[in-house]
Amino acid sequence: MKIPIRMIGTATTFLWIFLIVFFVSAAYSIKDISFDLGEPKIDTTSCNRILFSLPVTIDNKGYYSLSYFNITTEISDNENFMIAQGSTLIPTIEKGREITTSHNMTIDVNDLLQESQDYLFNDTELEIHQIVSMKIAQVIPVQASTNLSMLWGAPLYNLMLGEIEYVAYNTTHTKAIVAIGFENHAFFDLTGSIQIRMYNSTNAFLGEGQTTIEAPQNAPYQRRVELNVPIAGISENGYFKVYFLTSVFNFGPLVVPYG
Amino acid sequence: MAEMKKDFKKRLQEITFKALKAAIKGVLLYGIYFVLSMFLPPVSEMIPGFQQVIEIFVMVYIILATFAELTSDTIFQYFFNTAKALFVILYVIFSFKSGVIGVTFQNVNLIIDLRSFLVIAMLLSLLGLAKSMLQAINFLNAKAEPPRT
Repeated sequence: MKIPIRMIGTATTFLWIFLIVFFVSAAYSIKDISFDLGEPKIDTTSCNRILFSLPVTIDNKGYYSLSYFNITTEISDNENFMIAQGSTLIPTIEKGREITTSHNMTIDVNDLLQESQDYLFNDTELEIHQIVSMKIAQVIPVQASTNLSMLWGAPLYNLMLGEIEYVAYNTTHTKAIVAIGFENHAFFDLTGSIQIRMYNSTNAFLGEGQTTIEAPQNAPYQRRVELNVPIAGISENGYFKVYFLTSVFNFGPLVVPYG
Repeated sequence: MAEMKKDFKKRLQEITFKALKAAIKGVLLYGIYFVLSMFLPPVSEMIPGFQQVIEIFVMVYIILATFAELTSDTIFQYFFNTAKALFVILYVIFSFKSGVIGVTFQNVNLIIDLRSFLVIAMLLSLLGLAKSMLQAINFLNAKAEPPRT
């Protein structure tokens, strides 16, 4: 009986030593793993989506390889509506290796506008939920998560149509000039066109005009749109239908009354 | 009288040897802890109270190991060894709870899943417990056996 007992004892001691050394060294090597998040890049894709690209550098100077390194980012609004979600998985990061990858996320503003048109006209706070998970030494799963907030800047903040100025054109038509202005608070440049259609109080279509948009980030935009309208159709009040065709979203009609 | 004196001297020698052995074992265990504890500060920074949990564990473990050594060649040695194995099992269960440790610092929630470590530690502790039981049975068996002529 003494030999089996001795064998159990020896095996247990060795296994305990192995387990403790492995656990302590795995825990200690966490401090040698560094993450670096680079400057986020914002671009538009061919299918009119906003592409967020975040360069991530992982430097594994620890004693063990990392596996299933995963970064997940979820952007939602105050009502928990999911605006965007992105996930980046690196299957294995060998020890002593440095890996740089890009964590990408796309936002479809057209989908966003179907949820609420407020995103176009009002700045709002968005919630970012970020999760980083990995398996240290391919055995110990670790997950870190954090909540951040981000300001969503409205691309058409403070959109206003000015008073109509009528300028004589010929005997039957006149030029209606409408000033349009807004501030682009968005994190992307806005390029495209604005189309304005004018209707009188009897809902009769009077005329239309359009202008281009070239509004860089955080810049005000001011333009005057000219419309050829029949003099006979002009009424004291009516409404405009405004359409926005941009590289990021198409929106319209926005009905703006006048008079 | 002389034989009694000789017997007493022998017992004293035995006790001194046991105490010395126990002290060396205790110092050796503490030395191992001391070396390993140098690797712990990064973990302790992340998990508050981790250092305390380890220190209490090491303290009780060394005390039980020292007592087991002091009472060697008696049935109490196996009591202490069994207590040590049970203590490891219970301490692992209570300190790691479900095996998933959650810590929050600076708006970051950190979750470490130590379930696999916990299972291996439990199995090793059970092996230690089985060993102590077998040793106790073996010891009692040897005592019950008539001395061979």
